[in-house]
Amino acid sequence: MEKPPPEKSGSFSGHNVESHPPESEAEGELEDRENAKESSSISDSALPQVSQDIDGFLSHLSLHDDKSNPPDVPDSVEVFCKLVEAMIGNYDSGDSSARFGQVPEEDTAFVESVGRISKLMNALRGFPVESPAAAMYGRSGSVLQRAMSFLEDELRTLLEDSRSHISDSKSLKTKHPSFNSKEDHDRCPLPESESTGDDEYPAYPPEVVASMKKIAMAMISAGYETECCQVFSILRRNAFKEAINKLGFDSISIDDVQKMHWETLEGEIAKWIKVVKHCSLILFPGERRFAESVFEDYPEIFSSQFSNLARATVIHFLNFAEAVAMTKRSAEKLFKFLDMYESLRDLVPAISSPTSDDNGHELKSETMTAGSRLGEAAVSIFCDLENSIKSDVSKTPVPSGAVHPLTRYTMNYLKYACEYKDTLEEVFQQHQKIERTDEAGSDVDERSSQNNSRLPVKQTPFATQLIAVMDLLDSNLDTKSKLYKDMSLRYIFLMNNGRYILQKIKGSSEIHEVMGDTWCRRRSSDLRQYHKNYQRETWSKVLQCLRDEGLQVNGKVNKPVLKERFKTFNTLFDEIHKTQSTWVVSDEQLQSELRVSISAVMIPAYRSFLARFSQYLDSGRQTEKYVKYQPDDIETSIDELFDGNPTSMTRKRT
Amino acid sequence: MPATEYQGSFLGRISIRRNQIASMDGNHEQDLEDLEIFQKHVADRFSDLLSASDATADASVDPLLSIAWLRKLLDVFLCCEAEFKALVFMGRDPSHIARPPLDRLIPELLERVVKALDVCNAVTHGVESVRHWHKLAEIAVTALEQRPIGEGQVRRAKKALSSLVASMTVEDKESINSKATERAWSFGRRGSKDRIAGQFRSLSWTVSKSWSAAKQIQLMLGNIAAPRGAESTGLASPVFVMSIVLSFVTWTLVAAIPCQERSGLPTHFPIPRQLPWAQSIIGLQDRIGEDWKKKEKKGSAGLLEEMQKMEKLGQSLIEFADSFHFPAEPERVEEVAAQVTELAETCRKMEEGLGPLQQQIREVFHRMVRSRGEMLDILDQAGKVSSPIM
Repeated sequence: MEKPPPEKSGSFSGHNVESHPPESEAEGELEDRENAKESSSISDSALPQVSQDIDGFLSHLSLHDDKSNPPDVPDSVEVFCKLVEAMIGNYDSGDSSARFGQVPEEDTAFVESVGRISKLMNALRGFPVESPAAAMYGRSGSVLQRAMSFLEDELRTLLEDSRSHISDSKSLKTKHPSFNSKEDHDRCPLPESESTGDDEYPAYPPEVVASMKKIAMAMISAGYETECCQVFSILRRNAFKEAINKLGFDSISIDDVQKMHWETLEGEIAKWIKVVKHCSLILFPGERRFAESVFEDYPEIFSSQFSNLARATVIHFLNFAEAVAMTKRSAEKLFKFLDMYESLRDLVPAISSPTSDDNGHELKSETMTAGSRLGEAAVSIFCDLENSIKSDVSKTPVPSGAVHPLTRYTMNYLKYACEYKDTLEEVFQQHQKIERTDEAGSDVDERSSQNNSRLPVKQTPFATQLIAVMDLLDSNLDTKSKLYKDMSLRYIFLMNNGRYILQKIKGSSEIHEVMGDTWCRRRSSDLRQYHKNYQRETWSKVLQCLRDEGLQVNGKVNKPVLKERFKTFNTLFDEIHKTQSTWVVSDEQLQSELRVSISAVMIPAYRSFLARFSQYLDSGRQTEKYVKYQPDDIETSIDELFDGNPTSMTRKRT
Repeated sequence: MPATEYQGSFLGRISIRRNQIASMDGNHEQDLEDLEIFQKHVADRFSDLLSASDATADASVDPLLSIAWLRKLLDVFLCCEAEFKALVFMGRDPSHIARPPLDRLIPELLERVVKALDVCNAVTHGVESVRHWHKLAEIAVTALEQRPIGEGQVRRAKKALSSLVASMTVEDKESINSKATERAWSFGRRGSKDRIAGQFRSLSWTVSKSWSAAKQIQLMLGNIAAPRGAESTGLASPVFVMSIVLSFVTWTLVAAIPCQERSGLPTHFPIPRQLPWAQSIIGLQDRIGEDWKKKEKKGSAGLLEEMQKMEKLGQSLIEFADSFHFPAEPERVEEVAAQVTELAETCRKMEEGLGPLQQQIREVFHRMVRSRGEMLDILDQAGKVSSPIM
């Protein structure tokens, strides 16, 4: 505290002790400015002694109960008032090195003196109007008001001068070493910053926070809590609003959101998500730490400051979320809705009030309500998949037995949806009741209870819904397969689609987990069955041509029958080749499995038939006529099946 | 308030009967009776609200446009809304709703609901400004309740009140002229004028840039038409009643509480004067409309009773502060004490009422969102019924 008096020294006694309090603060300021330099030095030297005198007087007053008998007021009281005024004047002198926050020890001395003035005023209250004590009550009240007014402005300046801070991502990390040393630094371009910016809370420098804390304490303990909180809350709200606008978020009316095209709205949603995440991860936690350090000794004030700020900010996020959840539901919106739901869910801990005040509690429940609205919409969109499958009733079969667009659409949708599996589970849990009232719900229940052995996995509401969708897709595909008159093609269609479904499920661990191994095994065996059925349907007739029965009469080969057999075989095989090479099996493995299994049956049978019976045909022209194919040709032809390429001019037949 | 009492019986009545009569078209005679009861309830509820404007002397009645009165108004809205839904939708076959003229009237009502939702949000932001003024008034009360009143207290009070009165004006100027008006008034010693004025802007965070409360109300009222002829005994009637109730409630909120862009707020509603159920609404509308015209001339921040009181007392106390010398004359002190007590009372009403009011506005908001969803579902179902999937 004891420091050499800076600059000019002046004389305290030069002041008129009897001077009336200035008419207004503006005048007081003028007067102080004139005297600022001279009084500043005195404050340093005289303050400890005068403070001691005041403390003595205060303890004397505390014993003085009789209000009708006013005590004598020592000169030190007026001297002390002058000292405090001089300190304010000094801070306000325009000399930047003298500003509040520059010399922490001086600030502490000032804040302590203000506390003393406040005590003094309260102790001098209630004495007869004409007494010097009453006059000093008025005087100390004025000084206190000036000090408070000064501190309020100072707090505003501290909060505001760093305002560019929170909104300017470039300066996010910048510390302001010269924070208080330049009167007009807020007009200076901000110093360069090495930080990437966006990922950090734009904190005030610690020394500034310390100054704010000092001011807050001084104001609150002198009964100026409301002023202090008002300044703090308004300026922090401004800062948040700017930061959020800068991140690209603008409020849009609910009316406008309803009229927006999805593409435009999607862009707005993306901005919203970015801002909400930034708030959850950076801004709110940072603000919480900041407010906590300023109001460290006043947890309730801190708590209400924080939750008020959170409310003022978050309410805009919620309005947008509500507006989006109100828009017409459609399949493509599901994923954005879930993204938004997740953002709100993650926002809740960031805004949860540190103490359980009503305001914070209410905001939390508002946030959850908005989230649940989005969740509800997501559930309804997802469940609507059932309707789109049900309503896909086209009567035209897909050419070549290929994978149906509905299968592709549904499976890709499910695969994508299952990337949100945990979130979907969550929203389905929350809105289970809504779904149960649906008739489809009871259907599913029945089905799953019948097949309990098949589905040992726990049946979460989402899993139930997913399985319902899969079953619905199955039965829809089954109906579609009946559009093919050719049984073989029907099985190819079922195999193609079944295979596609199974591959998709195996390729996504999320769906796989929900559907379970048992389900996959069952599907695989279904596929094997289709395969067998196809074999039987297409190739058993061909194989019959290659049988021994009926060829030999009395141990002799009947040549006309043999010729007929070869002819029939050739015709059948040609026909099959022509038709089935236009069919499509896009899954390479399935395609090769089919070919291999056909070859495995056909080639040995043909080879042995040929080996045994070709000798009965006359070599030369007859052989050429009836033995159209060598076993190798058969293999080559089989390898051309399911390519989707018409190898001959014949049109495919379904 | 009897509103909720008869509501229970009304809802019960409808739900019981609808369960009994499973006919597609309902029972016309019964419907007519229900409609009459509904209209009577609307009339009774609003006449309670109207009586507030006549009984100014009666302390037990909440004055027109006071916080407590607005909360009653919102209660009335919620009751009417519940009965409306019961009357039009409960237990009724969706196909009934899909027929003309309802296939047009219901979507129109839902359009109005969306606009009302935005108004609710704007008003919620407006309440934030009111809360701020409340804090400033509290500072003045704290300062002026101290005895004896000294120079410091007076200056503290004056500072808060000047800021209160000025920011009420800024708020209003901003919402009327839509662009920021930089008011020349001083707050702190070093506070540059526009800096301070700008600080309040965040409290009235906009709904969206060009949004205007007055415009929304105009649009809500724009296509309301009273049903005529045969329609007036059908379901078109409750839709009309509900449209009027909804528009009136939102309009009143906008008139009472500062909110974004209120210039050009309609002062007249398209209600035929002879409708018996509408008498009280017309009466209220005339009263508030007149007040609004006066307000527009005077340029005060809103018709909220507590705010008007605050503004009046604030100005008077500023005058006192301007002529203050320590020690104050006892007569002046007494006079001021009475005003301070009144201001403290107003603060107390705000302290107690603003939070619940804000919550209630949210409740109305959520209710409308829910109902809109339900009505859309029904329309959707009706649409599916009329074009069934094969």
